[in-house]
Amino acid sequence: MAAATSHLSLCSSSSSAASLSQTQTCSFFKKEADLFSRFAAFPRKTQSSTWVRRVRPRKSFQLKFSSNGSPLNAVSLQDSGSSVAKKGLGTQEEEASSFLYSEPRKAESTLSITVVGASGDLARKKIFPALFALFYEDWLPENFCVCGYARTRMTDEELRNMISKTLTCRIDKRENCEDKMEQFLMRCFYHAGQYNSEDNFRELDMKLKEKEAGKLANRLFYLSIPPNIFVDVVRCASLRASSGDGWTRVIVEKPFGRDSESSGELTRCLKQYLAEDQIFRIDHYLGKELVENLSVLRFSNLVFEPLWSRNYIRNVQLIFSEDFGIEGRGGYFDNYGIIRDIMQNHLLQILALFAMETPVSLDAEDIRNEKVKVLRSMRPLQLDDVIVGQYKGHSKGSKSYPGYIDDPTVPKNSTTPTFAAAALFINNARWDGVPFLMKAGKALHTKRAEIRVQFRHVAGNLYRRNFGTDLDKATNELVLRVQPDEAIYLKINNKVPGLGMRLDCSDLNLLYRARYPREIPDAYERLLLDAIEGERRLFIRSDELDAAWALFTPLLKELEDKRIAPELYPYGSRGPVGAHYLAAKHNVRWGDLGSED
Amino acid sequence: METIPSSRIRSHATALPSHSTQSSSVHGRNGTATLPLAPKKFLPAKASCRRKSSINALVGLQDGAVAAAVNPVEKEVPFKTLKDGLLAFTSLEENKDTNGDGDSVSITVVGASGDLAKKKIFPALFALFYEGCLPQHFTIYGYARSKMTDVELRNMVSKTLTCRIDKRENCAEKMDQFLKRCFYHSGQYDSPENFVELDKKLKQHEGGRVSNRLFYLSIPPNIFIDAVRCASSSASSGNGWTRVIVEKPFGRDSESSAALTKSLKQYLDEDQIFRIDHYLGKELVENLSVLRFSNLIFEPLWSRQYIRNVQLIFSEDFGTEGRGGYFDNYGIIRDIMQNHLLQILALFAMETPVSLDAEDIRNEKVKVLRSMRPLTLDDVVIGQYKSHTKGGITYPAYTDDKTVPKDSLTPTFAAAALFIDNARWDGVPFLMKAGKALHNKRAEIRVQFRHVPGNLYNRIIGTDLDLATNELVIRVQPDEAIYLKINNKVPGLGMRLDRSNLNLHYAARYSKEIPDAYERLLLDAIEGERRLFIRSDELEAAWALFTPLLKELEEKKTIPEYYPYGSRGPVGAHYLAARYNVRWGDLTVDQ
Repeated sequence: MAAATSHLSLCSSSSSAASLSQTQTCSFFKKEADLFSRFAAFPRKTQSSTWVRRVRPRKSFQLKFSSNGSPLNAVSLQDSGSSVAKKGLGTQEEEASSFLYSEPRKAESTLSITVVGASGDLARKKIFPALFALFYEDWLPENFCVCGYARTRMTDEELRNMISKTLTCRIDKRENCEDKMEQFLMRCFYHAGQYNSEDNFRELDMKLKEKEAGKLANRLFYLSIPPNIFVDVVRCASLRASSGDGWTRVIVEKPFGRDSESSGELTRCLKQYLAEDQIFRIDHYLGKELVENLSVLRFSNLVFEPLWSRNYIRNVQLIFSEDFGIEGRGGYFDNYGIIRDIMQNHLLQILALFAMETPVSLDAEDIRNEKVKVLRSMRPLQLDDVIVGQYKGHSKGSKSYPGYIDDPTVPKNSTTPTFAAAALFINNARWDGVPFLMKAGKALHTKRAEIRVQFRHVAGNLYRRNFGTDLDKATNELVLRVQPDEAIYLKINNKVPGLGMRLDCSDLNLLYRARYPREIPDAYERLLLDAIEGERRLFIRSDELDAAWALFTPLLKELEDKRIAPELYPYGSRGPVGAHYLAAKHNVRWGDLGSED
Repeated sequence: METIPSSRIRSHATALPSHSTQSSSVHGRNGTATLPLAPKKFLPAKASCRRKSSINALVGLQDGAVAAAVNPVEKEVPFKTLKDGLLAFTSLEENKDTNGDGDSVSITVVGASGDLAKKKIFPALFALFYEGCLPQHFTIYGYARSKMTDVELRNMVSKTLTCRIDKRENCAEKMDQFLKRCFYHSGQYDSPENFVELDKKLKQHEGGRVSNRLFYLSIPPNIFIDAVRCASSSASSGNGWTRVIVEKPFGRDSESSAALTKSLKQYLDEDQIFRIDHYLGKELVENLSVLRFSNLIFEPLWSRQYIRNVQLIFSEDFGTEGRGGYFDNYGIIRDIMQNHLLQILALFAMETPVSLDAEDIRNEKVKVLRSMRPLTLDDVVIGQYKSHTKGGITYPAYTDDKTVPKDSLTPTFAAAALFIDNARWDGVPFLMKAGKALHNKRAEIRVQFRHVPGNLYNRIIGTDLDLATNELVIRVQPDEAIYLKINNKVPGLGMRLDRSNLNLHYAARYSKEIPDAYERLLLDAIEGERRLFIRSDELEAAWALFTPLLKELEEKKTIPEYYPYGSRGPVGAHYLAARYNVRWGDLTVDQ
């Protein structure tokens, strides 16, 4: 089994590796078949699942049953067959991922993940736990090491202590967790250094080389540091700690500049040291399960695509809310504000994914091409179509919640918006005239992220004649709740059972918690894994970023030049009422504020 | 006696004299302003009770001109009493007499000692009474040949009455009140004299009020005409309406059905005949039109462009069990397909009607039936169950039934492919399947959608995603539900697709008990709502479709495919489906 997987990984670790010559792969198959002829039962199956994997690393597509109960498709049969084989052969560790392919390992190559800014919040709360989860689920290659890099002096042991505090095991399989943690921590190291010191990075390089022990070296740098030192780190890492024979990739976190100019400048600087395909701009919302599912819903179901246009969709709402303020961390936020922090990236990315035309394929470049087209078809935002808000102090019960400007890290006269609502339009044939409403805010009454699609009224509704009320308001609505408590539901009008004829809005429901007992992986896990595998679909390309900034920059400038005062709203409220007037202007009603969501 | 051309508004207050004790009921009678030809008004009444749409088509008939009584004050109040805050509409009773005393309705169950009467009709009437849906002045008469006293009838009836689960209070009291309104009259079905006696008794109860009379014929088809003749000539209402509810079978082919219709029409007008098809009264069949016409998302999909096939499935998990006498003469095709399933099909496939009025809907249904290609022998598979032993228990074959001839070829199972040759449905197979003694009991409608053209996910999966199409399932019984099968990403790293359901499970969503189909239909008949009853031309078109096939089956003595009692039916059904590139949706692992 190990021998077999080692062949596979040749093709799975990167796109360049995937381009291995056909002939070579074929000879592997032959050898493998020979190898397995001893285990008479399964060689073919293993072989063909190999084939699928070669075609598409990791992505094991499987469909449980066809609509008509036709037998499982070939792949999934082979899939389950091979997992049986694995069990039969006694490789217990495979069981963990028995219904997914485990990441093929590659004895000859190594992967080093360097977390730059290892002592930061994001690193501790998200990156290390995500890496551990990937390790736990067997997605990481066999030879990997994780290296923390920061200025603080720390020993390997201290790093491990720090990390271990935040590691958790999947709820659904806690066994061996301690062991796994131990194994994982042993792969973690620390290197202290300045972010702008090429010498320090050269030392890092030496350390990494040691771990790599002469094998093919792939290196991933995760920049979890403030934007002002991005370029320094990229320069040092690229010049002094790039891989000689494998790939080198850099994951960059937002903010990617604060307007078109600064973003353009950042991109230009990055590109001095990195090629486009080495830059992985992360937008962790794109890694959310339901955002990933958006395309599946749309493109693998017949029933949705015909509805996906101005003919049937009246408006689309992208809603993000947090139920807490900045809580002492306003230093970064105050310089950016909610529009840059949430709208221009997360919500706009979801919008582009939602509204794009059908891509030629699911390949990263095809999808990103379509997204850019959407962004470039959009009407630049007008001040009229935006309202901004800022939360103020509020006392509820005996508790008092601070206002934004009460925060010690925020200037007293700050006009930075902590809430914004905007109406956007896509001037293309599919979406002309359909308002896309965005709303994002901090210190609101709930924490949620969702996509709401409100459909048009039923033309000539027969039932309207029987009711004194306006059935046209009771339109269908498709809701994708991204977080918390993932769900998809479709609101339909239904007859209330009974003798009369009463209509009622009911839901066709899919609650993830009820349907899928497995824990849903964190977005960072997916994105880290994608970066390791060179899957760029969920990362933002430079031209996407340019287009996104081009949309928002004029508005942001105007807001700042005119020093537009935000509408104040109490901490924990539903946000400024201006959002309603904005919606009303476009004949929309926010779907998240109804009596029954 | 509903008339007012533009308005037929009604609500029945609870049957208690004067004001009901239930605060939520509405009396549109006190302080009435008489509004002749009042515009349509919707006043909420008891949430559970009725509404009526305005039905212009029904105008006139035997009814005199009437005025609607509307109490404007009542308008706002009831909204508050609707706890669930749902859209509700009900309407006021159209008050026919200006003194506000109400009309009387007499319901005569002809064949009162029969099974259907005991199990369905009386319980349904009680449920309507319990819910306050019957008019204030009503009388129920049992009519049959057996000698019985009123008390004996009441005893018999009381055994089958149950109260709604959701409000058991006062149940015993309500039962008593109801039983006091039940009477019995013994007589021959073909004796005008006996019906004259009945008429006298009814008159007594009506006490000079406007008398409306409903006859429910729960009797074998061979005495339909006799009973109709006697009832019509000797017990019709003088000043109100007279309506007759007829149960299937409506003949056994085009000729006999036409003869029956012709005979009925000697004594009754078309609008007095209420041919009941209780499947049309099922909650989810009623909801079919709501789903389709009040949701934007379904109508665009409702055609050959998106729908690959439609399946109408009916199964029972028991055989004839000693009651094959009637069945053997008809067979499953006449018993289930030609009526229940075909009616659902017509409702499913019809064009958008001009309005929800009965005539408009039935016009559209007839159009569907008349666009259908007559069935051919090729497109039908028939089966008959044979005996089967499972775990020590032996289940009898159809021909083991004492009431069935040993050499009977009557099908107890049938599957058929039907086609509607119109612009919307050309080439879309409508598959029907009905059978007795199968492995489960259910009735459902399955709509299988086409594959996603150029499915992006096909390319990476390397398998045929085109088989994993969307499917809309409307489960009529048991355990009512609507669900839409969608392809969804299985949460996790990796990209696996999986079919999940967007669900609406009635038991989870609606706590109210769903009323029996007979309640709805009886109430409709009382209110003159003909939407769910079968018009003569519908019936004719339905028979025209099936008669040639039935004749051929019988002339050729086609032998049914035998299937074991309790099985999934004959495999022939699969081959029939395969011929049209269809796969039955109810026989898969994840339904």
